[in-house]
Amino acid sequence: MAILRRPPKIDTGATHAIGATDLGVRYDLRFTRKTTIRGSLGQMVGRGRADQFWALRHVDLRVQRGESLAVIGPNGAGKSTLLQVLAGIIRPSEGAVEIRGHVSGLLTLGAGFDRELTGRDNILLGGAFLGLDDAVTRELLPSIIEYAELGDFIDVPLRTYSSGMRARLGFAIATSVEPDILLLDEVLATGDANFRAKSKARVIEIVGAAKAVVLVTHDMNWVTEYCNRAILIERGLMVMEGEPAEVVELHRVHTEEARARAAEAATAAGVDPRIVPGR
Amino acid sequence: MRGPIGEVVPFRPMSATSEIPAAYRNAAGDRGPIRLIGEGISDIRSRRRLVRYLVQADIRKRGADTLLGNIWWVLDPLLQMVVYVVFLSIVVRNGPPDYPLFIFSAILPWKWFSASITDATASIVRQEQLIKQIQFPKIVLPLAATTAGVVSFAFGTVALGILMIFFSDRISPYLLFIPVIAAVQYVFTLACAFLVAAGNVFFRDLGNVVGHVLRLWWFMSPGLYSLASLEQTGLMQRNPALATLAKANPFAILFEAYRMVIYGTPDGPPGPPNLASLAVLLVASTGLLALTTIIFKRLEPNFAKVI
Repeated sequence: MAILRRPPKIDTGATHAIGATDLGVRYDLRFTRKTTIRGSLGQMVGRGRADQFWALRHVDLRVQRGESLAVIGPNGAGKSTLLQVLAGIIRPSEGAVEIRGHVSGLLTLGAGFDRELTGRDNILLGGAFLGLDDAVTRELLPSIIEYAELGDFIDVPLRTYSSGMRARLGFAIATSVEPDILLLDEVLATGDANFRAKSKARVIEIVGAAKAVVLVTHDMNWVTEYCNRAILIERGLMVMEGEPAEVVELHRVHTEEARARAAEAATAAGVDPRIVPGR
Repeated sequence: MRGPIGEVVPFRPMSATSEIPAAYRNAAGDRGPIRLIGEGISDIRSRRRLVRYLVQADIRKRGADTLLGNIWWVLDPLLQMVVYVVFLSIVVRNGPPDYPLFIFSAILPWKWFSASITDATASIVRQEQLIKQIQFPKIVLPLAATTAGVVSFAFGTVALGILMIFFSDRISPYLLFIPVIAAVQYVFTLACAFLVAAGNVFFRDLGNVVGHVLRLWWFMSPGLYSLASLEQTGLMQRNPALATLAKANPFAILFEAYRMVIYGTPDGPPGPPNLASLAVLLVASTGLLALTTIIFKRLEPNFAKVI
């Protein structure tokens, strides 16, 4: 089979910043976490074909410049996988994705880069990991330190930081870049109330500046307030795409149904439905 | 031009990044071997700064917060040598003369190799969080682990300098060959590092295997004994194939070379190393490095999924 290195272009000349065509991500369960050599040998001998799992499939997506797209759905639906593909962390197993512009992702805010290093060294190391020019990072250094509100702690190893301080530093490093395309994954849940307000303001500022935003969140108010389009992902499939309010509504209905089913199953199993967890 | 908004956001817009502005990724990720090597080289070239920071971080970490700091890097090989000298003077009565220097010329490079490989094995898995969050060339991680080892090797040569004071009659200009031999060893170490780093992502118990393989490799290599004495054993004389294998061991070539320039022979002063066999090892290591780079780059897209 000939390998198609450059498949047909997704409508050229369009204004979209992100284009995904029939996107699919397959996980090979043979190589999931913490495989051991013994386990794999056993599998190779035992079964011919390993189990496969599609975390995401048949996703078609266009994000235009200036758009803010919300990705919602239950836990484990494939939302974060989608962001990882858009960020270039995971290569699609099927289909293609086209990204036009600098991408920056605030995927689950990191706790810094190296616990043994000082805050200052972490900023330099973080900049290098993000692929920033060293001169740029050094130029940004004072403003990052100021923003993170670390004071003299900036020259102390990260392991002595409180979790709030670490979150502030991680946020300050990650948001020091002003990208064309911004990917956000549940970033607004860190820090104390004070910093949350400050970080929310910062995110709104970047959202305003970025050419396109894709945001994964469980905060439905945020979706209806700041996004102009939304998609609902369930079990790796795109269930709905459209107006934020409508998509949020469908998600609410589906969540209710799922809860009702869970309660029913629990009752059938003889468990008191009142103690069924999950909202 | 957008500006910062008041005091709340004291950031200036970014002016430059080294990311490619437009990216196209699809499932057809099969790239040719030449292209993979090219990518590996450009990955490293574009992230030289990152490699440097990672190496610096590694060194600072190992030096900081310990009682003796970097002194350990000097003491470590010396203490290990003392252990072997004490142990072997009980077991083997008549070893070669100046035995401490004889084994130290092998302990020094071996400590560098084993520490680098051990660090490289964990290098990618250790950055699990980062790999899931940021797209960066993962090849810099084992590279940094191996390169940090060079610094500890350099400190080890201080220990060699101290030891040479006691064996001053063996000091010779041939010591200047050490960087040449070390360069060959670096290429070989890097080739192995890429393989174990990538392998450990898929097989988390590879670290245990590596530990045992390293220990076995050390005792099978002419570090505590000379290659000549190994060839005289009955086993080697009965099996010529095994003897060839023992001579082809990269660490047989490296140890013999280091020993020749540091120690010489039991009955003679130091001399030039066997440059022909070093050249062969360099060519073979470069080939191996190309191969493991291809393997690494092939496996790299799966790291974020598996880790």
